[in-house]
Amino acid sequence: MNPFLSVTVLFVLTGFFLVVPIIPAIRELYRKSDAQPLLVIQKHAGEIRHFSEGFRSYVEQIKPVFEQCLSSGTTARGTLKDKAEYFVMGDSAVASIREVRKQDGECNTVVVACADLHAPGVSNFSREIYIRGKFQGGDYNHYRAILGDKDVQLGAHSIVMRWVHSVGAFSAGHDCDLNCRISSDSSIKLGTRCSFLRLNAPRIELGTVVADQNPAPQNGMATPAVPKRYLYDEDFEIPAGEIFHGNVVTRGKLIARKGSQIFGSIKSNKQMVLEDRVLVTGSVISSEHLEIGTNCSVGGPVIAEREMSIEPGVRIGTTTRQTTVSSPKIVSKENVVICGTLWAREHGEVARHG
Amino acid sequence: MIYGLYIIVALICIYTFRHYWFTLNRLFGFQRHPYIDIDTADWPPVTILVAAHNEEKVIANALDALMVVNYPREKMLVVPVNDRSKDRTKEIIDGFVERFPGRIQPFHRVSGKGGKAAALKDAMELVETEVILIFDADYLPGAGLVKQLVAPFFDPEVGGVMGRVVPMNVGANLLTRLLDLERSGGYQVDQQARMNLRLVPQHGGTVAGVRMSALKEIGGWNDTSLTEDTDLTYRLLLFGWKTAYQNRSECYEEVPETWPVRIKQIMRWAKGHDQAMITYSFKLLFGKHRATLRERIDGTLLLGVYIMAPVTLLGWILALGVFYEGFVPLHGIIALLSFTAYAAVGNLAAFFEIAAALRLDGTKGRICLLPFLILGFAVSTFSVSRAAISLVTDAITGAEFHWDKTERFRAAT
Repeated sequence: MNPFLSVTVLFVLTGFFLVVPIIPAIRELYRKSDAQPLLVIQKHAGEIRHFSEGFRSYVEQIKPVFEQCLSSGTTARGTLKDKAEYFVMGDSAVASIREVRKQDGECNTVVVACADLHAPGVSNFSREIYIRGKFQGGDYNHYRAILGDKDVQLGAHSIVMRWVHSVGAFSAGHDCDLNCRISSDSSIKLGTRCSFLRLNAPRIELGTVVADQNPAPQNGMATPAVPKRYLYDEDFEIPAGEIFHGNVVTRGKLIARKGSQIFGSIKSNKQMVLEDRVLVTGSVISSEHLEIGTNCSVGGPVIAEREMSIEPGVRIGTTTRQTTVSSPKIVSKENVVICGTLWAREHGEVARHG
Repeated sequence: MIYGLYIIVALICIYTFRHYWFTLNRLFGFQRHPYIDIDTADWPPVTILVAAHNEEKVIANALDALMVVNYPREKMLVVPVNDRSKDRTKEIIDGFVERFPGRIQPFHRVSGKGGKAAALKDAMELVETEVILIFDADYLPGAGLVKQLVAPFFDPEVGGVMGRVVPMNVGANLLTRLLDLERSGGYQVDQQARMNLRLVPQHGGTVAGVRMSALKEIGGWNDTSLTEDTDLTYRLLLFGWKTAYQNRSECYEEVPETWPVRIKQIMRWAKGHDQAMITYSFKLLFGKHRATLRERIDGTLLLGVYIMAPVTLLGWILALGVFYEGFVPLHGIIALLSFTAYAAVGNLAAFFEIAAALRLDGTKGRICLLPFLILGFAVSTFSVSRAAISLVTDAITGAEFHWDKTERFRAAT
């Protein structure tokens, strides 16, 4: 082959293979098909009520309709701006909902009840429900989402797909599947064997709650504004009945023995065990598993990076000092009260005592 | 010469492995976001320091954003740290003080040592809270950001917090698009992997927080450092405090839009980082303190990231020297295979990291720009090497560090 041609071919081929990967780059540079900043949510903070508030604004568009139905005690049908069908009930008769509930229990319209509503069991509400009065759902119902201006009560074995928000108290019977957002401005009560993901209310009761038997902080033992920090490179135990002032951080396992009181926060980089009747005024953070024993009290956030088990009688936070309990997996026994947020990223469950 | 080259190749291989380890961890490993779920708590009082030096173009946006964040008003005080500004920064800040009485307490600094660390150090006289957050004036915090950055401080082991920085002016030109890719890789993969693996997430000095008691314990802000953030990260580590990285606590920033500004910025970072390397690497690796073995190793590697640029340049020179000397380093075939393997895998480590970050961010088109990163890489390599040389000449001549402010490009509001 002609050496000149060979060199030319070599240069052309090399140039071609160098340019090929740059062609899409040049195209993207000039077309700017993906040149927007990454979406950073500026206007809300991931609040649990975000979707319920959005839905409230959404149904506001038919406010004149449900006010008219309420005053006349009649029903109305129509379509919303996004073509979704709605059904408004002006009274609380169960008979009304039967107008949109098919024989097989399916109800695929947005339901607005202007007064109290009782939803018959074995129903499937595939669109949202908005109840301006009290809501009582039958057993074995499926819901997409519920917004209640007063109390919301779900029957046993109910399933909610997306969210519930009740201005009044929320309660769910046993064996409900609540793997969604549940919030209440008043309180939440879950029956046994209910599963959950994210709950928020001033008071959350898991299972049947009996009177508190938790240790009260001893008088005159107020935590200083900035507690002293104690670091331990190995496992560490706080002896039974000990009163400890300060923040404790351990590299190993941390065990707070029965009846110990910690005026500060505790952190373990491995497993953490709070035995019965332990009191912690601050936060409890475990990088692995966390076991909270019977009748323990915690004032601040409780975090376990792997799993958390909560025994009966545990009280976390107060209605005036609400807090967060969070872990990928949470198994709580009955008779547990948490004030604030209870968040199981993967699975939460109310287990039967014993 | 050949042994020097072997050492450089070994170092490059270590960093290559590190890139892959971090990327694979982000793609397939256990992800740690322990504090992000804390949305309800008895929130502690917080002071938010907003560092501002001639920031008339951007300070109003930052203060506007901070006035509407979701945090108990009575527990939040914003302190704009106006560091010897000669433009309208003071006037703008004072306007906000009037509009939001009791919520903003300005710190107007008219003299003193230059630099952010020196300004923050002086502003500490106004801070009475245990939790301090720091923003640069070009940042736009979202509604939930303050709570997200405060939440890790409920962990008594956490001394510092760092959020994720997201460029806002991405589409301006090629440089901003490249910086966007670099930021994605650096935060979405690098920082989060270090958080996942319990290594050393780096405090970035903005979209960040520090615990007052920890800051006091380590001796406060170091105003001799060009990068007070890197300095803070290592001093916290040596004293047994952790820096938590919050990948979902995102905040918009403005990135440089011209190459000279970018070069100046990266030279300052490199110089400060190298300065921290000289101060802390030996102490971190071999000293008696509370850092774990993995923190010691990762922390040392992190300190070395900027010095790797001149080291790589030196490696290229040595490789040429070895070649012209006619030396065959190993058996020919082994050398060829090693070279091919590195060309196929090693060279792509940083690209792989950024590509993974873009995938995790859910973006599509911007991945096409990856080949242009070679340009950014080349500019960085020479700028960072220049910074290293400058550090040495400064040490010889006894020249003092001086702090160059990054120029802003936003239209004034």
